[in-house]
Amino acid sequence: MSHTPFILVSYLVSTVVLLWTALSPVINKRGLLRQLKNRHARMDKA
Amino acid sequence: MNPIYLFFHKTGSPPWFYQFSGRLIPWLWIGFAILAAIGLYQGLLVAPADYQQGESVRIMYVHVPAAWMSMMIYGLMAIMGFVALVWRIRIMEVMVISSAPVGAAFTIIALITGSLWGRPTWGTYWVWDARLTSELVLLFLYFGVIALYNAYDEPRKAAKAAALMAIVGAINLPIIHFSVVWWNTLHQGSSIGTSGSSIHPSMLWPLLWMAIAFKFYYGANLLSRTRVRLLKQDHRKRWVQDLLTEENR
Repeated sequence: MSHTPFILVSYLVSTVVLLWTALSPVINKRGLLRQLKNRHARMDKA
Repeated sequence: MNPIYLFFHKTGSPPWFYQFSGRLIPWLWIGFAILAAIGLYQGLLVAPADYQQGESVRIMYVHVPAAWMSMMIYGLMAIMGFVALVWRIRIMEVMVISSAPVGAAFTIIALITGSLWGRPTWGTYWVWDARLTSELVLLFLYFGVIALYNAYDEPRKAAKAAALMAIVGAINLPIIHFSVVWWNTLHQGSSIGTSGSSIHPSMLWPLLWMAIAFKFYYGANLLSRTRVRLLKQDHRKRWVQDLLTEENR
């Protein structure tokens, strides 16, 4: 039995999980800052 | 005041924590990238294949550090939860819930890579042995902490409930650690302990590099998540308003 597919899938799954976990706070922060800046701008206009 | 006390005192202030962690995060990511590159290079290209397991032993360089992280993060959550409940430090409350998704991610990696290592080594992807089952219970505990936090509308009440669950769930950590001693398991016993290691240095070093790299990853990710939660919770406070005004300029 070749072990290569098991090794490749292990590292691929780990990379995907770690990338997603690292990127999700960055995406959340961008969305939150956009939302807060819009609110801030609306309050300034009012 | 003693500089160490002063540092801990300052970390309790959200604006100071936000600024300080913002400067620290890039260095933690750089540390992670360098250490992971060294660990992966040594583990995948330099370290020899195992005389019994063959090439499949290379899964160890991601599986074992991930499994260590899954337990370490839950242990830290329990400690931070205790500090949050006793001394009512809000940043600790936020750090407990910010740690949970990172801990869950490492547990998922440990379970999946363990399963993929098990197939060529044991001949099966999964067995209900004590080590595997208690690690799966750890994943459910992480999900439980996240679900409990999200069940509340008020963030401070939610954080207290999550902290309490983290403390109670810590009972699972010695069960995971000693499962291979207390029960007959298919999973092997510890190769690294306080008395030394039975792993050859050519395989031990990449394992240690990866273990340290994952700690840097956790630090960077935890601080990033904590900063987002602090912004969300404090969006009506002066320091966030000032921050937005500065960014709008």
